[in-house]
Amino acid sequence: MANMAYLGPEWSEEAKKRLEKELTPENMHHVTSSMSNIYQNTPDGKEKYLFIAFEDGKVSQFEVGEGEPPAAEFKIIAEYDTFAKISRGELGAVRALTSRKLTLRGNMAKAMRLAPRVDRMNKVLATIPTDY
Amino acid sequence: MANESDQKYAVDVKKRIEVIQAEMKARDIDLYLGSRIRTMSFIVDAFVPWRSYLVIPTEGLPTVFTFVIDATRLLSETWMDEDHVRGYFGAGGAEQIDAIQYFIDEELGIKNGRIGYETGMSTYTAEGYLTHYEYVRFAEALPDFEFINSHDIVDGASLIKDEGTMNRFREAGRIVDEGQKAARAAVEGGGWKGMTETELAGIAALAMRRAGSVSEWNFAGLNEISSGWRTGLGACTPPTTKEFAAGEALMFDLHGMFKLALGDHSHNYLLAPATERQRWHADNFVACVQFVADSYKVGATPGGLITALGDFAEDRGCSDFILPGVEHGIGLFGDEWRVGASMDVPIPYWTDPDHEYQENEMVILAMQYAAQEDDIGFRYENPIIIKKDGCELTSKYPLAIEEIG
Repeated sequence: MANMAYLGPEWSEEAKKRLEKELTPENMHHVTSSMSNIYQNTPDGKEKYLFIAFEDGKVSQFEVGEGEPPAAEFKIIAEYDTFAKISRGELGAVRALTSRKLTLRGNMAKAMRLAPRVDRMNKVLATIPTDY
Repeated sequence: MANESDQKYAVDVKKRIEVIQAEMKARDIDLYLGSRIRTMSFIVDAFVPWRSYLVIPTEGLPTVFTFVIDATRLLSETWMDEDHVRGYFGAGGAEQIDAIQYFIDEELGIKNGRIGYETGMSTYTAEGYLTHYEYVRFAEALPDFEFINSHDIVDGASLIKDEGTMNRFREAGRIVDEGQKAARAAVEGGGWKGMTETELAGIAALAMRRAGSVSEWNFAGLNEISSGWRTGLGACTPPTTKEFAAGEALMFDLHGMFKLALGDHSHNYLLAPATERQRWHADNFVACVQFVADSYKVGATPGGLITALGDFAEDRGCSDFILPGVEHGIGLFGDEWRVGASMDVPIPYWTDPDHEYQENEMVILAMQYAAQEDDIGFRYENPIIIKKDGCELTSKYPLAIEEIG
């Protein structure tokens, strides 16, 4: 499979397909929640977002876009490069958070409990052949 | 459905919030930012030991922010739901100032106005006022807000105790009495021989835990035990490894906690053989405590009580040994040393001598007697509920200083 452009339409389609297939309600512990990753300083200069929602552990919405993201329970804001490093496995999400490279918005206590499930999601996304 | 025990100890937190919100509106305060432990206990109604912040809007429910490692436990014990129990931790957007600023700006949607916060001074180290650093950071993060010191709103709302709170204190009093019974049983009949202050503290703690206490709570040394010359040292005696000895005084100041209500009772003994001089001191002390206990009632004042006690002690020839003061404030956990319901008192953050007690107000009847030249002293503490014509002692342990062998 050829590499796809990170956050491009092809990558987005592939990401949705893989997440729906590989994240089961059981390993997502039937979570109902939503999050928006907000990408700043992207290569084309536009602010982008990746929005994902789960209903009872299933991916119910997945969307990549520009501008204002849909309302989500959690927002994660960072430079495009930071998200790219996390996706490539060069930077741990916790390291990024604690060094203020990521800004998290939402109920932190709940976010801590959901963190392993987000890691699971990121691991799936990391399997996509991607050009950053 | 709540069981009978729950009903007995139930408190109406929503009513407390309404009282606070009404006062906020009267003062044109848009948000209350609480940080003191006593504020957490009063509203969250659960044990909140970590640095926490309580954001109270003028309408709706408050939200507490605590160190994230304790947020799940707190959620399991408070009446508040997950949306109103938040965590903070050292990460971008998640540290306490960032998280609260975002919550106020974006979730509550309040962009400017007046924030009531808690600052002041206290003899109690763990009071929890907003630190200067926190204040500066909040002021920078919320530049369009004016910060107003408003802790007296919560203090005023918590001054008169409701029935559930008083019942919690009554149960905490029963618990410390169990500790006193166990302590006495441990030292009587020569049991004191070879025993240290620390060991006695542990024996009492075990008895109180068995009776339902969840903590010995006191920042001054948990159960405070003193013997011999240490009984004359004043108001803080964390136990040491000193062994009890014949001919000494003993002081057991036991602390238990039940549903955040603080049980606190000090009882004294003379280990035989007691001298006439020791007995004289002991009888003076018991008489002085009884005099004060008989004097509390609605309308009495701290200034009036201390004056009357001074006269009483002078008549007995023991006024040189009574430390000035007959009480300190008490409330739920964190409210060990109430600073008064108002900052507008002759000496800010000290007892208002002209404060007139109201029905169902609580204080700790606290008296210190120190005769260091005779290597002896005594302490009495007992949370009391002010009544129309007197006061109710929450510890029922009989007031006396027995000589035991």
